[in-house]
Amino acid sequence: MERTANLGLVQWQRSRVQTRRSVGSFALLLVVGVLLSATLATSIPLQFSIVTLFLFAGPHNWFELRYFLMRLPLRFGRSRNFFLTAFTGIALLTIAYLSLPLLYYAGVWTGHNWPTAIATWNTLLLLWLGLLISLRGKQGRRNWTWCWPVVFALSSLNWLGPELFSLALVYAHPLVALWFLDRHLRRNRPEWLQSYRRCLLMLPLIVAAMCWRLLGSQSLADDNGLAWRITQHAGADLLPQLSTHLLVTVHVFLETLHYGVWLLALPLIASRGSIWKVKSIPLARHARGFPRLIGATLIGGLFVVALLWLGFSTNYAVTRDVYFAVAIAHVLAEAPFLLRML
Amino acid sequence: MKKFIPVALGALVVLSSALYTLADIPRPPKPSPTPAAGKPVLHTELTIVPDPKGSEARLQIAPSDLKILREALASVDSNPTTWERLSQSSTRTIIAGAFLFLSISLAGVWLARSDRRRSRIAAAVVFGVALVGAASMIANANAGPPGTYLWRGLPQALTEGKSTNGGLDIEIMPEGYGMKLIVPSRDFKKPDHQEE
Repeated sequence: MERTANLGLVQWQRSRVQTRRSVGSFALLLVVGVLLSATLATSIPLQFSIVTLFLFAGPHNWFELRYFLMRLPLRFGRSRNFFLTAFTGIALLTIAYLSLPLLYYAGVWTGHNWPTAIATWNTLLLLWLGLLISLRGKQGRRNWTWCWPVVFALSSLNWLGPELFSLALVYAHPLVALWFLDRHLRRNRPEWLQSYRRCLLMLPLIVAAMCWRLLGSQSLADDNGLAWRITQHAGADLLPQLSTHLLVTVHVFLETLHYGVWLLALPLIASRGSIWKVKSIPLARHARGFPRLIGATLIGGLFVVALLWLGFSTNYAVTRDVYFAVAIAHVLAEAPFLLRML
Repeated sequence: MKKFIPVALGALVVLSSALYTLADIPRPPKPSPTPAAGKPVLHTELTIVPDPKGSEARLQIAPSDLKILREALASVDSNPTTWERLSQSSTRTIIAGAFLFLSISLAGVWLARSDRRRSRIAAAVVFGVALVGAASMIANANAGPPGTYLWRGLPQALTEGKSTNGGLDIEIMPEGYGMKLIVPSRDFKKPDHQEE
C-alpha cells in the first residue's frame, strides 16, 4: 500500500519536473526569440523588413488559411448568422479596399477625398466588427452590447484622423496573433499561460526601449522606391516628427512576432497531427466533409506562396504593394475566428 | 479577460484621442542650431495703427500689392502637410461629432440598463473617452478668446522687444498703397512700470 502511494508520488513529482522544464523551455524560447527580433529590427530595420517579408509573408498566410479551415465547423447551425456576416463582411470590405487604389490608378478617381474614403472604409470595418461582437455575445448569452459605444467612439476618432486610425490598425494587427496564442495556450497548455503572459510584459518595455534609443536618431535613407515604401507603410508621412528608424523598427519587430506566432507557436500548440495531412482538418475528415476541396485549397495556397516568392524575386517593390493590398483579407478574417475563441 | 477588453479598448481610445487635444496648440519648436531662413516673396511698406474701437487685428492690403502678392503666393508650394490635411476638414469633424453623440447616447442607455459594477467601470471609460473627444473637437473648432485679449500685451512686448501672437483678418482694400496693420488697442495693458 505504502509502496503504491510512493510510486504515485514519484510519478507526480516526475510529471511536475517535466512540466517545469517545458514551461522553462517555452519561456526561454519566447524571450530569446523576442530579444533576437528586437535586436535585428533595431540594428538593420530596412534589411530585416525586406528579408522577413520575403521569407514569411506567404507561408504565414498559408498557415493562417489552414488554421481557419481547421476552425471552420462543418455545419454552421446556430452560428449561421455569425458566419454569414463574417464572410460577407470579409468579401465586401476586401473588394472595397482593393477598389480604392484600382480606381485611382485607372484614372476614374482623382483621390482628392482620399481621407474621407479611408474614413468611410474604417467606419464600415468598425460597424462590421461591432455586429460580429454583438452576434457572438448573443450566441454565448453574454451581454456584449458595450461594444456599440466603443465602436462609435472609435468611429468618431477615425473621422477626426482617418489616416492615423489606419496607421493604428497597421500597428495593432500583429498583436492580434498574440491574443490567438493566449487563447490557445489557455485551452491546450494552461501550464504555459502564466509564463507567456509574463513574457508579454516585455513587449511594452522593449518598445519603450526602442523609443528611448531611436527617438532622436537620424531617419533612414529612403532614397530608393523600396525604402520609401517601407518607411511610408510605417507612418513616415503621418508622423513626420518621429524618426523613420524608430517607426520601421517598431513595425518590423511587431510583424516578426506576428510571423513567429503563426509559423511556429500556433502550429506547435494547436495542431492535431501533421500539418500536411488533409484529414487532420475536421472539414475534410468528416463523412459529409469536403476532403478534395480542402486539399485543393491548401495546394492552391502553396502555389500562391511560390508565386509570391517569385514576385518578390522579380520585382520586390511592386509585389510588396500588391501583397499588402490583398493581405487585408487575412487581417479581416482573423476577427471572426478570434471572436469564436472568446 | 472580460473586464480587460473594454478597459483596454477604452485606454487605447483615450491615448489615441490625446493626439487631437493638441489641435490648436502650437507644437513646441524643435531645437535646431540653424533655423531655416524664410523666403521673402514680397517687399512692401507696413503701417501699424492702434484701433481703440476694434475687436480683431486687421491687415489691409492695397490692390497694387495684392497683384504682386498673388503672383508671389502662386510660386510658393502650397501643398499642405499631412497633419494639416488631417485637422482641416469641417465635414469630417461634424461626422466625428455625430458618432461621438451616438457613442455617448448608447453608453448612457447601456449604463442605465446595466447594474453590474464592471459594466459601470467600462461605461465610465467610454464616458471619459467621449469627454476627451468633445474637448478635442472644441480645440479643432478654433474656439478661443477674443482678439483684443490676445493683442493686449503688444505695447509692453514691443517695449521689451518680444513677439506677440494673435488673430488677424486680411482685408483687400479698393485703393491705396502698401499694407496697413490695424491692431485693437481697447484692452492694451499698461507697461509694468506704469501700473506701479
